[in-house]
Amino acid sequence: MKMNDKHISCEQAKEWLTDALKGELSSEDQTVLDAHVVQCPECQRELALTRDVRNWLQTDETPEPSSGMESRFYNMLTIAEQENNVQTPNVPPEQVGPFHFTRKPMVWMQVAATILLLGVGVIAGYWLRSRKAGDELAQQKIDIMAVQMQEMRQMMMLSLLDNSSAVERLQAVSLSTELDKADGKVIEALLTTLNYDTNTNVRLATLEALIRYTDEPQVREGLIASLALQDSPMVQMALADLMVKLQEKRSVKALRQLLRQKGIRKTVKTKVEQSIIQLSSV
Amino acid sequence: MLRVKEGDLYPMGLLFKRYHRELFGFFYHMSGNPDASEDMVQTAFYRMIKYRNSFTGHGAFRSWMYQLARNVLLDHVEHNKRSARQHNVEDYAERIGGGTLADELLQKTEQATQLRNALARLSEAHREVLVMSEYQDLKYKEIAEILNVTEGAIKTRYHRAMNELKTIYLKNEDER
Repeated sequence: MKMNDKHISCEQAKEWLTDALKGELSSEDQTVLDAHVVQCPECQRELALTRDVRNWLQTDETPEPSSGMESRFYNMLTIAEQENNVQTPNVPPEQVGPFHFTRKPMVWMQVAATILLLGVGVIAGYWLRSRKAGDELAQQKIDIMAVQMQEMRQMMMLSLLDNSSAVERLQAVSLSTELDKADGKVIEALLTTLNYDTNTNVRLATLEALIRYTDEPQVREGLIASLALQDSPMVQMALADLMVKLQEKRSVKALRQLLRQKGIRKTVKTKVEQSIIQLSSV
Repeated sequence: MLRVKEGDLYPMGLLFKRYHRELFGFFYHMSGNPDASEDMVQTAFYRMIKYRNSFTGHGAFRSWMYQLARNVLLDHVEHNKRSARQHNVEDYAERIGGGTLADELLQKTEQATQLRNALARLSEAHREVLVMSEYQDLKYKEIAEILNVTEGAIKTRYHRAMNELKTIYLKNEDER
């Protein structure tokens, strides 16, 4: 309650006193209060009392928490992270973030794939050696085996991609570049990794791997959609770069949305703005 | 915090580093029990992880944290099956035992004892607003956001609590 004539009652002054001591009084009100207190002994006593009580409050100092508190927290966090990795919490799918990427133990599949791959290789070598290159039948068989090998690689890559170790997932991504051509399943797996993998390096490597397939409409659309899902500045910038490289005008809308994202880094913002200008001028 | 919400728990460690002391202070001044306060900090962070989806990203993280912390405190008080007031007096009394005989320190300890008793006599709502304002350095506006009431209501509550405390203080002075 502000008084136009710049005079306040003692009651008002007493309220303002605490606000003033707390630093929550506007300088304007402070001036009015000062003028009042100077000529009011009662409010001077109140000021002294308020100060005393606030000093009194400070006699109860906060002790230091024990060192065990921090270690107990980190123990809990580790457990929470593990739980987080294996189970998807009951949240609607659109809220599922990178850490909810379910990873099933697929070690047996990896082992099986390795053995099969090795076997196919040995047989292929045998065939190559024992049959003349001109032999049509042999050629056919080699072709079949090549297809099988491709399938094996694909299976291995997919199972590795499901691994909980970032190193193995990186391996999977690099394995995908050895595939002659990627089918829908592989592309889908790569796009999922790009969007939901917890590790920025894996996501970046996946983006690199996907560049080889940008002729596929599925990949292009997936990359545009991915813009909205990335939270790492590195990936955001790499995607923006790629959009310019691909002259992908459809991404402008997604890039604009990225600009509106809360907490977007300045460097990313500049990059995205540049990309939009470049794409709009095409 | 939004990163945590999306499932990435790594920033939780940073949040702990930044806020665990503050939260400990809140629980300590509200309950008067350092051991229980440590447990409550732990519970509060556990709930932050568990209920991270309830953080909307609108409003400050700190407000959300305090809202959660208040519930933890409430559970603690109820769990103890004792009135918070009684609890405080006992906890406080335990803490003051021992200490040096140096006059100055003795006087300080005495003052602190009186203060704890005084705070314990306040209503939960009054003590809360004083703790948030005086120990946690929260502004009226922030407290209002946490308690989901108007800033004016918080100001009034704070002044009432302060007046109550002043009365007790003056009474103590007279008795001395």
